[in-house]
Amino acid sequence: MAGPEITWYLIVSAILFSIGTLGVLLRRSPLIVLLSLEIMLNASNLALISFARLHGGHDGQIFALAVMAVAASEVVVGLGLIVAVSRRRLTLDVDSFRVLRG
Amino acid sequence: MIQGAWLCLFAPLAGAFAITVMGDSITRRTAGWISTLSVFVAFAGAVVSFVGLLGESPGEREHLSTAWTWLSTGSFKIGMTLLVDPLSVLMMLIVTGVGGLIVLYSIGYMDGDPEERRYFAYMSFFVFSMLMLVQAGNFLLLLVGWGLVGLASYLLIGFWHERAEAVAAAKKAFIMNAAGDATMALAFFVLIWQTGTLEFAEAFVGAEGMSSTLLNLVALGLLGGAVAKSAQIPLHTWLPDAMEGPTPVSALIHAATMVTAGVYLIVRAHPLFELAPSIQDLAAGLGALTLLVAGFIALVQTDIKRVIAYSTMSQIGYMFLGVGLGAYGNGMFHLMTHAFFKALLFMAAGLVIHHLAGEQDIRRMGGVRRVMPKTFVAFLVGSLALVGIPPLSGFFSKDAILASALASGGYGQLLFAAGLLGTLLTGLYTFRLFFVVFLGRPSELVLQHAQGSHGRPEEEDASRTHGKTAHGETASHGEGPWTMTVPVAVLTVLAVIGGWLQIPDVWHPFSDWLHDVAEPLVEPSVTQDLVASALAVGLGLVGVGVAWLFYGARSRELPRVAGVRHALEHKLYFDELYDLVFYRPAVWMAGVWRRTIEEPLIGGSITGVSLGARRAGGVLGETQTGYLRSYALAIAAAAAVLVVVFLAVQ
Amino acid sequence: MTTALILLPLAAALVVWMLPLSGRAAGALSLAAALAEVVLWVVALFRFDFQRDLQLVDRHSWFSDLEVSYHVGFYGFSFWLTGLTVVVSAAAIGYAVWANRERARAYHGLMLFLLGAIVGVFTAQDLLLFYVFFEAMLIPIYVLVGVWGGPRRVRATATFVIYTMAGSLLMLASIIAFGITQGTFDLIDSGTSSNTWVFLGFLVAFAVKAPLFPFHGWLVDAYRESPPEVAAILSGVVSKAAVYGLLRIAIAKFDVELVLDFQSTILALAAIGLVYGSLLAFRARDVRTVTAYSSMAQMGLIVMGLFSLNEQGLNELGVNGAILQSVAHGLISATLFLLAGMLEQRGGTSTFADLGGLARGRPALATILLTTGVIALAVPGSVAFAGEFLILAGIYPIGWGWAVVGAASIVLAAMYMLRLISAVLHWRRGPAATEASRDLRPAELALLVPLVGLLLFLSAWPAAVSERSFPLRVQTDEAEAQAP
Repeated sequence: MAGPEITWYLIVSAILFSIGTLGVLLRRSPLIVLLSLEIMLNASNLALISFARLHGGHDGQIFALAVMAVAASEVVVGLGLIVAVSRRRLTLDVDSFRVLRG
Repeated sequence: MIQGAWLCLFAPLAGAFAITVMGDSITRRTAGWISTLSVFVAFAGAVVSFVGLLGESPGEREHLSTAWTWLSTGSFKIGMTLLVDPLSVLMMLIVTGVGGLIVLYSIGYMDGDPEERRYFAYMSFFVFSMLMLVQAGNFLLLLVGWGLVGLASYLLIGFWHERAEAVAAAKKAFIMNAAGDATMALAFFVLIWQTGTLEFAEAFVGAEGMSSTLLNLVALGLLGGAVAKSAQIPLHTWLPDAMEGPTPVSALIHAATMVTAGVYLIVRAHPLFELAPSIQDLAAGLGALTLLVAGFIALVQTDIKRVIAYSTMSQIGYMFLGVGLGAYGNGMFHLMTHAFFKALLFMAAGLVIHHLAGEQDIRRMGGVRRVMPKTFVAFLVGSLALVGIPPLSGFFSKDAILASALASGGYGQLLFAAGLLGTLLTGLYTFRLFFVVFLGRPSELVLQHAQGSHGRPEEEDASRTHGKTAHGETASHGEGPWTMTVPVAVLTVLAVIGGWLQIPDVWHPFSDWLHDVAEPLVEPSVTQDLVASALAVGLGLVGVGVAWLFYGARSRELPRVAGVRHALEHKLYFDELYDLVFYRPAVWMAGVWRRTIEEPLIGGSITGVSLGARRAGGVLGETQTGYLRSYALAIAAAAAVLVVVFLAVQ
Repeated sequence: MTTALILLPLAAALVVWMLPLSGRAAGALSLAAALAEVVLWVVALFRFDFQRDLQLVDRHSWFSDLEVSYHVGFYGFSFWLTGLTVVVSAAAIGYAVWANRERARAYHGLMLFLLGAIVGVFTAQDLLLFYVFFEAMLIPIYVLVGVWGGPRRVRATATFVIYTMAGSLLMLASIIAFGITQGTFDLIDSGTSSNTWVFLGFLVAFAVKAPLFPFHGWLVDAYRESPPEVAAILSGVVSKAAVYGLLRIAIAKFDVELVLDFQSTILALAAIGLVYGSLLAFRARDVRTVTAYSSMAQMGLIVMGLFSLNEQGLNELGVNGAILQSVAHGLISATLFLLAGMLEQRGGTSTFADLGGLARGRPALATILLTTGVIALAVPGSVAFAGEFLILAGIYPIGWGWAVVGAASIVLAAMYMLRLISAVLHWRRGPAATEASRDLRPAELALLVPLVGLLLFLSAWPAAVSERSFPLRVQTDEAEAQAP
């Protein structure tokens, strides 16, 4: 197999995943949260493909395609929500959506 | 003979039942006659049994008859069993004989009371209960009779239940007796555990194997019941209050029968007491103590019935003294003669009270002799018998007990001294009463009532001695009902001749009769008899003389020793003591428990539960913050934990 | 036969609920069903052989893989408890007819349903079935008290339900554990368990039902706010379900050593309940509260009788006394509650301060109250005395202290009962005891006289029950504690 060792891909994937997680947890703008979610999803895609390359099979790649489809649909819904919120002139701040508290 | 015993037991119950069920459909008079008849039928039954026993030789005179099994579990059986033996038949005769006379007397005495039917139902019920007690063939049935007479006593003392004092007195009597019932029950538990039975004969045999501690406990339990029922110290406070009941009730229950049940119990259970001699000695000691204390208290009482009540307490003290020392025959003899003269005294007192429209305070009486000469005679006879002046009945019976005490060693002689002092007191208080009420000039109250001849039976013919004289002259004195006349007359005769059944060393059919049932532990010698009699009569006369000195010639009062007199008037503060030791703590404890346990428990538990549920809900609800990011954090953390766990398990 | 006894009232309940009957007709039908039940029981009485074990058995499989079946039958002692149930229920339904309860169809349906459930409890020989009937008792009581009860009924019902459910849930856990470890839920087929927690689960449930101190918090409010006839059933019959449960399950289905470990604690709680209940009854201020606390005291006494066992097993005196006392107390408290109800009908209250002096001119009321009252205080000669005597004689060998406490409670019972009698009948008339309060009328007498008559009959012949609760051979059985 040519190119860098699988380890490096996994490290990149981990770094990307962490960045994404931190983004979800720490950012207040819904757009950025969505963006971070995408980063997390892509990080896992990367891991999947790397393993697929490692084991020689195609399962990982197919799974990665499925993940991409899910990510796309989820972005559609998410962005739709954000547009709806901004149309109502509400603050685009995740912390202010507290109506469903216990 | 057995049928006679069953008839004797159930006739009064049938009478009570009939009166209750027929209610208003019979006249009040009829109710009285039903009751009287039922008791006299019972007397007939008793006589039949008596005659039957007479025909047998002394060794055979014991019959047990069981009608059905009353209570049983596998190995423990109690039958509805009657015992016919000399002791039970003696008691049957006394209860139904004297009882019948008193119920007859009640017809006249209670005439006009709107609740007469209830009274007669209760009286019949009482006679039934008392008969159950004395005829019981095992200890449990005896306890049943014991409790039922307590119930009858409650019903009759509280007969005029609109009076708070009467109701309170009734409750007090019942509760003190219930305490006695409880101690007896405890004694029976020990017996069951140790001997497996409550039948008399088997229990006595089985008891011989018991340890002395247990025997003492059993005897003590029985003694507790006896003391409560017979109003001996320390469970005596209910008897004076019981005088709230109608006078015939006092005569029957609180003089002649129920209060003597304790004496009967000791004689019946004497094998158990003989196995626990210290308890038997205690019984004698309590008797002696009671006879003195009651005698002293009687000296300052101003209610005619209460004087007689304390006198009863005192005389039963003599009986306890006798049976406590093992003189069973003599004790029972005094029981019988006492039934005669005490009932007589109560009934005569009842006549006075009735004539004076309910007045019972002797300070307002005086000179009653002038208006009620025949009652005067009856009362005199009764008083002389009580003091023990020969040849009346009390002389023979009381002195027999004293002689037995003299013959019983050191302790007995100490009690003998107490008994002698008691005879002095008896003479004193009895004739104090007699002189104050009957002699002297008639008081205003007496004069008031002398005018109105309301047909009250103040003139009855209490014939003096041998046989009854013709009553022709009575009938002409107004409607003095013979229902009251005749019983008093009969009792007067009995009070005189009743003692002639036992003249020591001359002839003694009475003690022979009881010999096989209860062999006496002590037989006084002729000398002791004579000494005891001489001293007793002498001291009795001294008492009479002192009474004459103070109350006869000039109505003076006894010298006042302030503190003592005060204490005596308060009956030695027993009532206050019991109130302090039992009643108040019970009330206080109930109040405390209610506040500290019950209210928090009831209120607290449910409020507590609902509050707790709400708080828990509130706390858990705190996790639903509504913040998206905190939810996300939760998910992330959980995922991380799971990963770690997963890896660790690998 | 047994199934008929259970199904008759249930079927009658359905009929009453579904048919569009008038109030009067519903009441009449209900009373007829209750009386038919009594007749059925009497018929069973003649067929009953008291020297044998479980009889009149019906058994059908229910969940075969769990070994749960519909298994019902009578023992001697449960037969008497059932007899008590049918008699008291008939009297209670009679009272309800006399009192003309509103929404009669619903009411009578519930009463009949309750009756069926209680009979089921006494006859169930399968644990799950027992649980079903036990819980089924709760629903009608909840509705009956909650709808037809007094002013503070909501709180009373809530308390009662919460207490009972807490106990029942523990019992359910215990049942499941027991059934699974034993492999069957059947009471005859299973052996004994030695698990402390399972035992405690059952114990707590029955302790709440009895009630045993300190689980009695629901007692006073429930008895005060219930309609009188429901209180009669509650205190007279439902509490005996606890007696049955304790005897049939808690004692019989667990190793003797385990039961003995808890004996002192249970006896202590029972004794405390006895004294506590008696003292609080002594200071209570109305007829119902006195009867309620007196019930608690009597149940303490009965539990003492049940637990007077030793290594050889049940104590013959104690346990027969407990059954006799259960029957006696059931009749007594039913009569007292019905009387309280009749007093309340007249004067609006059964508070002592408002009553008094009712004996004058009302011989029937006075006689019945007096008779019931003196039997209630266990006057020697009464059936209650017989039961109490047996119980205390049985507990004496276990510890003389228990017997002394019991004997002392005799005096306390005299105190509170006499106080009750005097407060109602004696002294002056209180504000609620007007001239107009009439004596007991024929309808009321028809309810009370049979109950009192039974009490008097049993007082004359307590051996009728005491000799026939347990077959003789089992009482001398040396095996471990097995209820017969």
